[in-house]
Amino acid sequence: MKTSIAKKTSTGTNGKRFKGQLAALWNEFKRFKYGMVGLALFMIFVLIVIFEPLIIPFKETGTRWRDITYWQDNPVNAAPAWTNWFSAKDKTPQETLKATNIVKQEEPSADMTFIDAEIHYNYKYDDPPTDMAFRATVMGDVSFMLSLVRPDGIEIPLFDTYTSSSTPNDFRVSFNSDALDNIFEFATQHEDPTASFIYNKSTLNAMNVLFSKAQYGILDNPEPLKGEYVFKITAATIGSGDVSNLRIEVAGKVFGILGTDNAKRDLWSGIICGTKWALLIGLSTSLISVFIGVLYGVVSAYFGGVVDMIMMRIFEIVNSMPLLPIIIVMSAIFKPNLWTMIILMCLFFWTGSVRTVRSMGLQIKEETYIEAARALNASNGRIIFKHMLPQLIPYSFASMALSVPGAILYESTISLLGLGDATIVTWGQILQGASSGGAVLHGLWWWVVPPGVCMALMGMTFAFIGFAMDTILNPKLRTR
Amino acid sequence: MYWKYVLRRLLQSILTYVVIIFIYSALFNTVMEATLRSQINEQLQGEMMSFAKSGLSAEELKEHFDNRKEHLYEIYHLNDPIPSRIFWRAIDTLTLNFGNASNIRSATGSSDVMEIIVEKIPNTLLLFLTAAVIDVIVGIVLGLKKAQKPNKRMDRWTSILTMVVYGLPTWWLGMVMIMLFSYVIPIFPSGGVHNVPPPEGGLAYFLDMLYHLALPVLVLVIVGFWGRAYLIRNIVLGTLQEDFIMSARARGLSERRVLFGHTLRTAAPPIVTMALMSLLASISGGLIYEGIFSWPGMGNLYWIAVQQNDIPVLMGNLALTTALYLMGLVVLDLIYGLLDPRIKVGGKA
Repeated sequence: MKTSIAKKTSTGTNGKRFKGQLAALWNEFKRFKYGMVGLALFMIFVLIVIFEPLIIPFKETGTRWRDITYWQDNPVNAAPAWTNWFSAKDKTPQETLKATNIVKQEEPSADMTFIDAEIHYNYKYDDPPTDMAFRATVMGDVSFMLSLVRPDGIEIPLFDTYTSSSTPNDFRVSFNSDALDNIFEFATQHEDPTASFIYNKSTLNAMNVLFSKAQYGILDNPEPLKGEYVFKITAATIGSGDVSNLRIEVAGKVFGILGTDNAKRDLWSGIICGTKWALLIGLSTSLISVFIGVLYGVVSAYFGGVVDMIMMRIFEIVNSMPLLPIIIVMSAIFKPNLWTMIILMCLFFWTGSVRTVRSMGLQIKEETYIEAARALNASNGRIIFKHMLPQLIPYSFASMALSVPGAILYESTISLLGLGDATIVTWGQILQGASSGGAVLHGLWWWVVPPGVCMALMGMTFAFIGFAMDTILNPKLRTR
Repeated sequence: MYWKYVLRRLLQSILTYVVIIFIYSALFNTVMEATLRSQINEQLQGEMMSFAKSGLSAEELKEHFDNRKEHLYEIYHLNDPIPSRIFWRAIDTLTLNFGNASNIRSATGSSDVMEIIVEKIPNTLLLFLTAAVIDVIVGIVLGLKKAQKPNKRMDRWTSILTMVVYGLPTWWLGMVMIMLFSYVIPIFPSGGVHNVPPPEGGLAYFLDMLYHLALPVLVLVIVGFWGRAYLIRNIVLGTLQEDFIMSARARGLSERRVLFGHTLRTAAPPIVTMALMSLLASISGGLIYEGIFSWPGMGNLYWIAVQQNDIPVLMGNLALTTALYLMGLVVLDLIYGLLDPRIKVGGKA
């Protein structure tokens, strides 16, 4: 009878104490401005992860980051679009031009269908695009004919081409390769005949010619011709063939929010996609390793004696291994994927909290309620899990928050060496591309700076939260 | 008494090293043996070529080489059961017998792994020790300044900055700085230890090295000293809560004397160890950083070995890095023992 009452009150106060402790922690935490800033930043990161599909223009970034065909319409190494605000010369941004005025004409006698369409492009920039690509979804036997009517009234035939496919297929023609002959001819007609001999087709910049005034100097020193350009498309299909989704992709000189890399990939999409992996790697690694470390420390403190000695020896051995080198070598040899990488990091990260937890555990062990629990014949597991671990929860939160940036850092360092999981895209992998793609050498800052800033921001987020909790838990540190 | 402490600490760390090497050897046994086997095969192929002209029949040749292979396998204990193989791999590592590199060569053209790694060690030490010295000095000065007026403006914004750089990858800052100061505003070299070719004459040679050292050290210090300062602030503030400080203040001692006379002496051992400890951790975490500056040290060697998949170099490098790291830990403890009399006297307690 007596024991049951004692047990009830003991667990009751324990539960209440624990809840009260967390509430007190939160009340204290609210007073730290930087802690709240950290929490707000964390919420922003979580929102980014939740609304990722809405934020990124390239929806399949996560799965097709290394698929070059997915990115082929983008420009190479293009700066962000907003750099135009700071430069005197406006560079053409990336754009998708949709077909208008589509007219279908069936010719039943010849079993053919003719489709006429126009694509309007209002060109108002100083620096022409790097390339244009005509694209359509095509089925059956189809031939295309494209010509361009410029604002000055000149009509340039661009190319005619033919394709055949039995299933709906993405069809693509690049102007730089297929319209080159016609554009070159157009240029030589208008360039100073005494000067044009120095030019040849292989050095021709087709886009420069297409969007410049038809006058002497069109090759040598082109002047942009602004206005409404109309691309005229004529498609002819035989039999059951079909053409849809006619469009022209303008691969500009500037691109999107964060530009592109040397594989034409949209860096904004990549970085947003990397957010969830950074959070996943950071949070799960710190969660698992802190949990193991805290449990290890408590068990070691609780049992003491030989158990403590052996456990501390093991701890010291793991703690004496240089972390990064061993993780690098293990990644180089075992080629981990995302999950094995997290496990690998946990194998060495857990030591971080052991020493502090053990010394805290040694203190808690001497408390009277532990003694009481032991007198009531509570099992060791019950004492550890019910009475000792809850006391360490605030500390665990703090050290979890503080070990998140480390995990992200290690993953990115391993990725920098090219040992990352190739099925996902992380910030470290983007930086690895930048480092091997000569981004530093060529000053492609939009490729180098943003991923690092994101890592620093996320590190900062968790540092703000962790440092605030650390200060709460160590009242000594506030005044002198 | 101190030497007894030194001896005990040394023995303990040697034992730890041996255990760690055995763990490595158990972890990486398969891949180490695969490389060893392929190297033996390569060697035999070479011998076969020179034997081909000796006029032996094909069968005799085959028999000869099968015997030779058995013999070599015997030497390297490749036919033993697994525990014995792991044991012998560990012994090889412990006796610094790392074998030959598969691709990487040393500056003199040797393929001996030991030689390849040893020539990198001075560069790594040069870079990280220079950074460490500056880092610790700046950190201590700033940390004390922060502790003098905790939660005042200076302490606040330096603490915020500490948190801002907390998750900053040093190597990324290195990339950005190279871009800024080597290509946009070309005032620093983009990497390496020396110009190619290095300048003649002692002083010019030295200055050239300093010039190349400047940017990587600068980046390391910029990222590093905040954390050191914050740690030192916390230790000093913790000590300031002690009773003897209160009694010193009660006796009317000036705040300066309290801080420098009483607090600093007591706080010195943890300050030194914590500062050096976090430094050691940051070095172990920052090794890769050398690769960004193409600084020919051990970190850069990891980078190259991973890219060329050179397992013997990777293993040797890991073993030597671990040895250096452990040495660092020992030195730390010895300094701690020197500063804190309780440790060296209480050897038995």
